[in-house]
Amino acid sequence: MSAERTSLLQGTLDLLILKSLIAGEMHGLGVSRRIQQITVGTFVVKPGSLFPALHRMEDEGWISSFWGDSENNRRAKYYRLTRPGRKQLEAETKRWGRISWAIAQALEAS
Amino acid sequence: MPLFAKVQSFLRNFFLSRHVDIDLDQEVHAHLELLTAENIRAGMPPHEAQRAARIELGGIEQVKEQVREQRLGNWLHSVLSDCRYGLRQLRKSSGATAVMVFTLALAIGATTAIFSVVYGVLLRPLPYIDSSRIMALFEVNSKGGWSHLADPNFDDFRDQNRSFQTIAKYQNSGDVSVSGASQPTRVAATSVSPDFLKIFGVQPILGRDFRTSDSKKGAALVVLASYGYWRQYLGSSPDLSQSHLRIGGAVYSVIGVLPDGFQFPPDVSLWLPADVSGENQSRTAHNYLAVGRLRDGVTVEQANRDISAIAQRIHQTSSEQNEYLLKDGIVLPLQDSITRNARPPLLVLLGAVGFLLLVACANVANLLLAQASVRERELAIRSALGAARARLIRQFLTEAFLLSLVGGGLGVVGALFGVAGLVALAPQNLPRLDSVSISIPVLAFAFLLSTAVAAGLGAFTAARATSGDLRTSLAEGGRGQAGSQGSQRVGRVIVAAQIAITLILVIGAGLLGRSLRKVLEVNPGFRVDQVVTMDVSLPDVDDPKAKASQAIFFSNLMDRIKQVPGVRKVGATSGLPMDGGLPDGMFLLMSQSEIPKKMDDFGALFQQKERIGNADFCVATDGYFQVLGIPLIRGRIFNQRDGADSLHVAVISESLARDRWPNQDSIGHTIEFGNMDGDLRLLTIVGIVGDTHEYGLDAPPRPTVYVNLFQRPRSAITVTMLSDADTRLVTSAARGILQDLNPEIPARFRTFSQVYSASLGSRRFNVILIGFFGIVALLLATAGVFGVMAYSVSRRTREIGVRVALGAGSGDVLRMVLSQGLRTIFIGVAIGVAGALALTRTVESLLFGVTPTDPLTFAAVSLLLVAAALLACFIPARRATKVDPMVALRYE
Repeated sequence: MSAERTSLLQGTLDLLILKSLIAGEMHGLGVSRRIQQITVGTFVVKPGSLFPALHRMEDEGWISSFWGDSENNRRAKYYRLTRPGRKQLEAETKRWGRISWAIAQALEAS
Repeated sequence: MPLFAKVQSFLRNFFLSRHVDIDLDQEVHAHLELLTAENIRAGMPPHEAQRAARIELGGIEQVKEQVREQRLGNWLHSVLSDCRYGLRQLRKSSGATAVMVFTLALAIGATTAIFSVVYGVLLRPLPYIDSSRIMALFEVNSKGGWSHLADPNFDDFRDQNRSFQTIAKYQNSGDVSVSGASQPTRVAATSVSPDFLKIFGVQPILGRDFRTSDSKKGAALVVLASYGYWRQYLGSSPDLSQSHLRIGGAVYSVIGVLPDGFQFPPDVSLWLPADVSGENQSRTAHNYLAVGRLRDGVTVEQANRDISAIAQRIHQTSSEQNEYLLKDGIVLPLQDSITRNARPPLLVLLGAVGFLLLVACANVANLLLAQASVRERELAIRSALGAARARLIRQFLTEAFLLSLVGGGLGVVGALFGVAGLVALAPQNLPRLDSVSISIPVLAFAFLLSTAVAAGLGAFTAARATSGDLRTSLAEGGRGQAGSQGSQRVGRVIVAAQIAITLILVIGAGLLGRSLRKVLEVNPGFRVDQVVTMDVSLPDVDDPKAKASQAIFFSNLMDRIKQVPGVRKVGATSGLPMDGGLPDGMFLLMSQSEIPKKMDDFGALFQQKERIGNADFCVATDGYFQVLGIPLIRGRIFNQRDGADSLHVAVISESLARDRWPNQDSIGHTIEFGNMDGDLRLLTIVGIVGDTHEYGLDAPPRPTVYVNLFQRPRSAITVTMLSDADTRLVTSAARGILQDLNPEIPARFRTFSQVYSASLGSRRFNVILIGFFGIVALLLATAGVFGVMAYSVSRRTREIGVRVALGAGSGDVLRMVLSQGLRTIFIGVAIGVAGALALTRTVESLLFGVTPTDPLTFAAVSLLLVAAALLACFIPARRATKVDPMVALRYE
């Protein structure tokens, strides 16, 4: 865990949440740990940012939620990707690709 | 699909909010348990695991609040909950709330009512198509004054301009006697040039408009009737071919009826074609007003340059070079021209009521501030529970909006009554009074005003209450003292501002009030009470014989009225003082041998400066001077021997005698004033009478030449009667006599005191309103001082208790509290005096006999304000002296 913790860029949190849910339904803590894992520890999402984002995305219709049992039989609220959510993920991925390419070009330019 | 999902979420969040909230609470708790479990699995002891989980979560309530703020529809939800909470807050302190709502209702109501007058008179567009393109035209004379247009000048303007689609002239003929319809009446008529209606975009709803041929000399006489006249006197007849009216002795055919609501000039019932008896060829006979409609794309400035160039050309080439010849011309929007004189006093009123509004808002701000400081602890708790600062600010804004909108609503209801009162109180000569009402734009104004007040008050209290560290308040709030120093200082600043504004307002009211008193002190030069007047007009005639017989008719009329019991004196005049003024003109000093043969010879004579004089021309009888008590200073007034064929005589006013014949006797001189009535016989001056304030007490007396009605007869006169008897008895007796002599002739009766007080109406209106605003502002400011001082004393109870316990006497306490109050008062008064010095100049045009910096008014008002404010300080100060140290200290 020595990786530098970077603060999230505007708009990237949605992308990361959608991306982590592609692996399957997950509760809030699961999403948080998954993001930490897939970004190799770069991003740690605090509940104070995570929950507002989850609820907002649910209101938007990108994800849906249900109550279920966790690995060790605790009740937890699970989230899963919806069809509009998948579309949103594709769109966001493309957008992010464009941005990161453009930024890379900009940084390489002398 | 996403839209559907959003709507669904919105509805769920909104209607199932309790459910959604429970769900959120469970979710966050479950998250906490998961975290704890994870930590235990990582090997932490259970207690430590829970603590670490809580730290990672970062506060259950804060997380929940953050989620709530992200939710769809959250804004609506929280606005509603703010409203609910706000209402509860306001109810909790119902006394203060009632005071605040009432104060705001009063101020917003008063402002709305005044605005409705300003809007109706000054701002509301005239009710004509594209009315902003309609202009009024005036000549500008050598002294810079504006005058009506002379016929040849109008013709030049009309024919040479390139700015107007059409221009037309019109003349207020005043009231005319009309018979031939269902009953004889006196109605207002105007003569207009044929294009007049085109300028207003108006077509007759029945019959036809004027044609150019209707205005030719000798054309068949025709008339257009207003819708109201047609309904009332012509029986709404669709067939006009049989409608003929006898107006001033001639028979006119009614050729058309104008649409309902068209009434220009105001109150006119009949429109006649101008110039049917030919144009007046003089360029200095200013008989007509003019209006025009601008061509598309032409600006008012362009039109002004155009007309000005034509006017200057006339000035350079005309043979009539004298002070009455135009020097320039001016074009301005008709609306501005109509409301020109009404504008300054109305704007002053609006300013005054704006000041009242500020004073009222200051009071409400102070009350809100006092409440906010009581709520410091509550705010601290809310903030600790996760309320963002923005959310708290919004809470204050919501409460301020609730207050202002309720206050504004009540204010508008009050304004509905207020406007009715204002219209009743308003001076008769205020133009467009009929278009004053609570209209949509006025309501919009009231709403915007309430919103602005709310935003101001809300932002102010929010900024005050949420500044500073809330945690300190939480820690110290319980002691009821911390944080209050700042808000008390702000409270005192507000009160000082309040005093300053009130002082300016009351000084304004004082200056206007003193002006009114000075005006009333002016000796008008005539008697006002016990005089009944009767306007009578016979048909217009040119023939000298017919004129003479009209004079006999009037003579009979007056002789018979003299017999009425209680009537002591009877006279007649061509125009009462303060009732619209007399015609004025230039007369010539000349001897019998020099009399010009015809009018056209006057032009050259007017060039000779040593011959000319200028005066108002009044036709009167000897009785007129007695009825109005106008004193004879020297010589004599008219008498029985001054018959139509004997020497024509004139009586002149004192100021004319003094100014035109300085250091010599004017009696015995002969003057030619035939340009006023067409009779070229010379007038021999036989007497000098006192000056009268013809145009109002605040206008200087005009030089006047009086001629004898029985030598210079005219068809329209006002009979004046001095009587001890009841006005109604005299009126009905005189009406009976007139009907007996000629049942076809209508008359109008007034008492002279009505005419007189109408002339003071505008001044009185302003004094009453601004005085009322001043008194209300004074009460509000006094209440404001009282509130702040009382609050300060109650906050300092403990401190005062300590002082008393340490040996301070009640005198010391009193002095301490009063001196604190006095400092605020003096700062307020100092600022107010400075402000008043700067601002009273704006009312200078409304003042009479006092300067805008009248020291007496300034001193008296400042003293009054200091006294009132001191009294307001004294009560809390007395209470402070009663503080029992034991109680005060235990209170903690």
